Amino acid sequence: MGYPHPPHPRETVLLSQYFGDPEARSLAGWRQRGGYRALEQALAMEPTAVTTIVKDSGLRGRGGAGFPTGTKWSFMKPGDGKAHYLCCNADESEPGTFKDREIMRWTPHALVEGCAIAAYAIGAETVYIYIRGEFTEPLQRMTEAVREAYAAGLLGPGAMGGKARIDVRIHKGAGAYICGEETALMNSIEGRRGNPRIKPPFPATAGLFGMPTTINNVETLAAVPHIITQGAAWYKAMCLSSPKSPGTKLFSVCGNVRRPGNYEVVLGFPFEEFLYDLCGGPPAGRKFKAIIPGGASVPIQTMDEVRATKMDYEGFVAGGSMLGSGGVICIDDAQCMVKQIGRLARFFAHESCAQCTQCREGTSWTTKIVERIEAGQGTPDDLDTLLEIADNMTGKTICVLSDSCAVPVVSGIQKFRDEFDAHIQGHRCPFRVAAAAA
Amino acid sequence: MLTLTIDGREVPVSPGATILDAARSMGVDIPTLCWYPKLPIVGNCRICLVSVEGNPKLVPACATPAAEGMVVTTESQAAVKSRQAVLGMLLERYPVEDIPAGGARNEFEQMVRRYDVPTRHRSSLPLRAGDEREGDPIIQHDMSTCILCTRCVRACEDIQVVGVLDVAERGDRAEIIVGADGNPEHAGCTWCGECVRVCPTGAIHDVIPLAKMAADVMQHAAHAVRSVCPYCAVGCQLDLEVRGNDVVRVISPWIEEDTPNQGSTCVKGRFGTDFVLHRDRLKSPLIRRGWYKEASGRWRFDPARDGASQWGRRSGPWKDVEGEGHGRKRRPETNPLRTAPTGDSPLGDPRDRASTPASWYEPFREATWDEAMELTAQELLRLRDERGPDSLATFQSAKCSNEENYVLQRLFRAGIGTNNIDHCTRLCHSSSVSAMQRAMATSAASGSMREVEEDSDVIFILGANTTESHPVFGAAIKRAVKRGATLMVADVRRIELAARAKIHLQMLPGTDVPLLNAMLQHVLAEGLEDTAFIAARTHDFDAVRAAVAPYTPERAETITGVPADLIRRAAEIYARGPNSSTLWAMGLTQHHTGTDIVTSLLNLMLACGMIGRLGSAMMPIRGQNNVQGASDVGAIPMFYTDYQPVEDPAIRHVFAQEWGVPDERIPLVAGLKVTQIVQAGSPVRGMYIYGENPVISDPDVAHAEEWFHNLEFLVVHDLFLTETARYADVVLPGSSFAEKTGTFVNTERRIQLSHKAIEPPGNSRPDLDTIIDLSRRIGLPTPFTTASEVFDEIARVTPSWRGVSHARLKGPGLLYPVPTATHPGTAFLFDERFPTADGRAKFVPVEYLPPAELPDATFPFVLNTGRQMYHWHTGTMTRRSTALDARESTPTVELSPIDAAELGVRDGDDVSITSRRASIRIAVRISSRVARHQVFIPMHYREAAANLLTNPALDPYAGIPEFKFCAVRVEPAPVANVAELPDEVRRVGEPLVAADD
Repeated sequence: MGYPHPPHPRETVLLSQYFGDPEARSLAGWRQRGGYRALEQALAMEPTAVTTIVKDSGLRGRGGAGFPTGTKWSFMKPGDGKAHYLCCNADESEPGTFKDREIMRWTPHALVEGCAIAAYAIGAETVYIYIRGEFTEPLQRMTEAVREAYAAGLLGPGAMGGKARIDVRIHKGAGAYICGEETALMNSIEGRRGNPRIKPPFPATAGLFGMPTTINNVETLAAVPHIITQGAAWYKAMCLSSPKSPGTKLFSVCGNVRRPGNYEVVLGFPFEEFLYDLCGGPPAGRKFKAIIPGGASVPIQTMDEVRATKMDYEGFVAGGSMLGSGGVICIDDAQCMVKQIGRLARFFAHESCAQCTQCREGTSWTTKIVERIEAGQGTPDDLDTLLEIADNMTGKTICVLSDSCAVPVVSGIQKFRDEFDAHIQGHRCPFRVAAAAA
Repeated sequence: MLTLTIDGREVPVSPGATILDAARSMGVDIPTLCWYPKLPIVGNCRICLVSVEGNPKLVPACATPAAEGMVVTTESQAAVKSRQAVLGMLLERYPVEDIPAGGARNEFEQMVRRYDVPTRHRSSLPLRAGDEREGDPIIQHDMSTCILCTRCVRACEDIQVVGVLDVAERGDRAEIIVGADGNPEHAGCTWCGECVRVCPTGAIHDVIPLAKMAADVMQHAAHAVRSVCPYCAVGCQLDLEVRGNDVVRVISPWIEEDTPNQGSTCVKGRFGTDFVLHRDRLKSPLIRRGWYKEASGRWRFDPARDGASQWGRRSGPWKDVEGEGHGRKRRPETNPLRTAPTGDSPLGDPRDRASTPASWYEPFREATWDEAMELTAQELLRLRDERGPDSLATFQSAKCSNEENYVLQRLFRAGIGTNNIDHCTRLCHSSSVSAMQRAMATSAASGSMREVEEDSDVIFILGANTTESHPVFGAAIKRAVKRGATLMVADVRRIELAARAKIHLQMLPGTDVPLLNAMLQHVLAEGLEDTAFIAARTHDFDAVRAAVAPYTPERAETITGVPADLIRRAAEIYARGPNSSTLWAMGLTQHHTGTDIVTSLLNLMLACGMIGRLGSAMMPIRGQNNVQGASDVGAIPMFYTDYQPVEDPAIRHVFAQEWGVPDERIPLVAGLKVTQIVQAGSPVRGMYIYGENPVISDPDVAHAEEWFHNLEFLVVHDLFLTETARYADVVLPGSSFAEKTGTFVNTERRIQLSHKAIEPPGNSRPDLDTIIDLSRRIGLPTPFTTASEVFDEIARVTPSWRGVSHARLKGPGLLYPVPTATHPGTAFLFDERFPTADGRAKFVPVEYLPPAELPDATFPFVLNTGRQMYHWHTGTMTRRSTALDARESTPTVELSPIDAAELGVRDGDDVSITSRRASIRIAVRISSRVARHQVFIPMHYREAAANLLTNPALDPYAGIPEFKFCAVRVEPAPVANVAELPDEVRRVGEPLVAADD
């Protein structure tokens, strides 16, 4: 199917309204579509008032952790005499997630505007947009948008009629997943190896170049202009389930599904309807077996769990998983769960920054064992070993990459133990056998 | 202060302390692998996780700040389980089969045993890997035992500030790498061994010539003796690991101990002490053939006896000797490390390589101590009585202890009756001393190295290549820059520090006075001088104000070649401080105007008030390990100990009393200086040379050699049969630093005690015994036998050392002045007054005087001389060290790329360098460190001795020669016969032959 797809009637297109509209990319086109009015409005306010609006809107971080955005901004103390920084995390590398990419491809000025508003609110003169190295087209679009914004005097020394100085710098990543971790991202911008830092100190105290720093996801910042122009109450009212989770959210859907792509729905949307109505359900003749709803780092859901899940921060937790980045990975009944889990583990083993012992050793050890099981060479002890390693990898390291590797393994073994047992007892992968027979 | 509870005990800590700090303060041992004192905390090994009440997760003790009321359990069930898991995971890719049953070879394995982690099976996972430094004769890796704690990476980056090591790759492919291509040379490695010191598993280990790092070497705590490094004046404390009667390696004192180096070393200190074991060491006294004892008991020289005439009265000339050890070797651009041959003995034994040619021993016969002492005493007394006391002189040694130097100057002053006593300070900082004495009646640094590192805002360093000549202090300066201090360098070469400096004033050689006068002129023009300081603490400022007035930055630019704007900026940065430290070394002093140059610097310093406050240190960086101490204890012609002038009868009386001789025995006039002694027409006919090698270290050595030839009697007391010793009548074997107990004074006035680790080889004996023996034989009352007793006498006659004794020198030592036995020492001086009569410093106006010998059409280049990182002075010690010789084995001349292109010479080609005095042949090292029309030759190599060329023009006040400036000519020196070339050179031009594969 064509991509981006025309919006499904049940979608609420706020961020994705202009996906597929090439004219929205230019400054002129963006202005025609109402762009930069929010920035103008924001600059007419006190910075703290901007923060208050965002706080009142209930906007939560779209990068995965769901931390209230306005609260995060309020950690930046005005007038502390230090340089403040805003980092925009555009290092979207979570497997199964590709929403930020589309925001930057189609509506780059939405992000520039969101960055400018946030920078104004937190007293930052410099914004770094850290774009994933593989994102060549988004990088090009963003570079062009920033250039246009400078040329139009929206950025730079006399931004918006001399009210504030806002510089936006684009930093291209170099292909490390870990640089999406906020402190690793800062190290990377500083020219250091992209290793996560020990927290505390948190970025709001000592972040980029040791200065108070706020870091927000692309989708979070792109939502900010809408909140400014339409008000906190309007945004907060967009809610289908938990009042703690208002607003719209982009979900990237991929895997064994008929209509993969980005879908924007109001939070709290029923997950099963989302998968079957909007995304078209599993491929012909297949059934969904499992869904990973929030990128590779969240627990795998069984279909029973999916059925009861509302798509918001609280709903996914109630459904045995997490909202995460909103990368929905669909797995149908022809797939071997052991193989899928092995793939995820290998991804994390490959991407571990190698600082912490548990992560460096644990991720690769886990991978070796899962792959051994998949190859039919596992032993009954292996599952206990995996759970033991996973336990030692959880909650003990500097960042959560180690935990992220343990999550699919633990949930996979808990929820699909029969497949693991079949591999171990049958000394081979049942799905390969099936495929060979077919 | 806040209080927390650890394992049930309350402990108070200051805010900012971590849980680990708190635990350590109360003696609770939380295991750590990645953590190391003073290194940045990375918290990556995760072995120090502890339980904190109310916290669902374990927290890293090393990285978690202690908080009021925190309740910590260090060995909770969860913490122990997590530690076992961490150790288990590390063991998964560790060569467990090598761990001795029930034992442990290193820190990591000890931890494995402590937590009882099973080590029986080895998983199928591959072992860890990393760059291996194969063939490196100094440091090698066995990365299969690396646990990626990254201590080495941080030690290299944050202690030594070099940054050779890093982690490459991610995940299980992560490994420690050496630079980008595995070549330590390319990555700027200085072989300091900091990585060896911090490695918890021995994955990075030193290669010891005599005890190659074997399992049991790390396993058993060795007998270690605290010593002080025998090289530069930083005065690093070292622990010598002793097995049998050998020093098998140097290990670092613990980093948290208060030592000048905090356990760091440079390559010389850690890997360059194997000269102690060298087979060239003299093991018995030698007497020149021809000397014999008559029946009367008197010694006579008869050229007819024992074939003596075949060698002449004196041996030599030494400079005909071919290169040390390895012969000529071309040195290609990359300056590659000589790799070690593989085999059972990967390095060979340094003692297998003789540096002293066998023929040098032939004119001598081995003698007993009795014979040697008897002959020496007889001749010293004969010359004294026949030709007068001033016909004798001694060169003492800045490499020997205070006690030895004191007793030897005592012997000459009280026993012989002459002040002809000097040592190599004459050739290094005598002009600093004369300038500092004139300005503020002091002879040493006003502050400490720690102060420069931690408290200075601006560090102005002139004529000092610290990262090579004083590497451990150089690293401290780099750490200061890292913390935010502003570094300014004035140096004719673009040295490493210049590259890190905010401003590099690369002046033309010998133009220091106009540069510094212009800086002061600009300071005054801008009103940046410290008027309060000038008014309260100094006098005669107006004379200097008038003198510097004509030195505008523009005028200085025409003389120095430094842009006027840069001079202005430097002046402003220095004057604005707020606390600027002033450091200098030979680049300023070794000029015929050395005293003037240092004076112009002192004027600038005083006018800006940059002395007498913490962070504003004045520091002449001393050269040798005890050049400060040797001067302090009177091994100079014009002063007794503590710079008490020999001209003062009252002072003489004190010393004569102490030494038990009549006052008249000691002359009231200053003796001759080194450079006056070795000079045509000097009255000196007999000498006792102790641990110096003037035949290589003096300027215009060809001339010096002639002078030594004509002496009546010469005793040389040294470790080796040096070039100078070849002229001797008697050669006395010396004892190395490892073979004696004694005190040394470093560049910051710190008196430190070095302990005897091993016995002197063969029939040699501790130097102090030899000098005491000789004192007694010439009839001088000598009531002491041990170094400690000698020190007590020094303390009695040395006011600023009065409170010092060996018993007080345990640990960090004491910074003098220490006036009483309870005084804690003085780290920084002159906060209230200067030690002058009126307590004020004196400004002395100075004018620019060009160097003594200027370039012209025939000699268009300026020759500069100095030191290299890997060698030391005349090379007697370093060139006998396997590791150091491997790094730098050949003499080279630094030549700028443009000059090289103009001369048509390539890197490694031979050139001849000719001055008005002599010519040498030397290989070219193309280097952008030197400016155009300047060349730099290190002084360490006898086969291309820089001092054949240098100009013996002397500073009128200090007598220091102009080592840093003479005019030379550089010419390509093509090899006439290709067949004579060494193999590796010939092969360069040959077609490559494909290997058999």
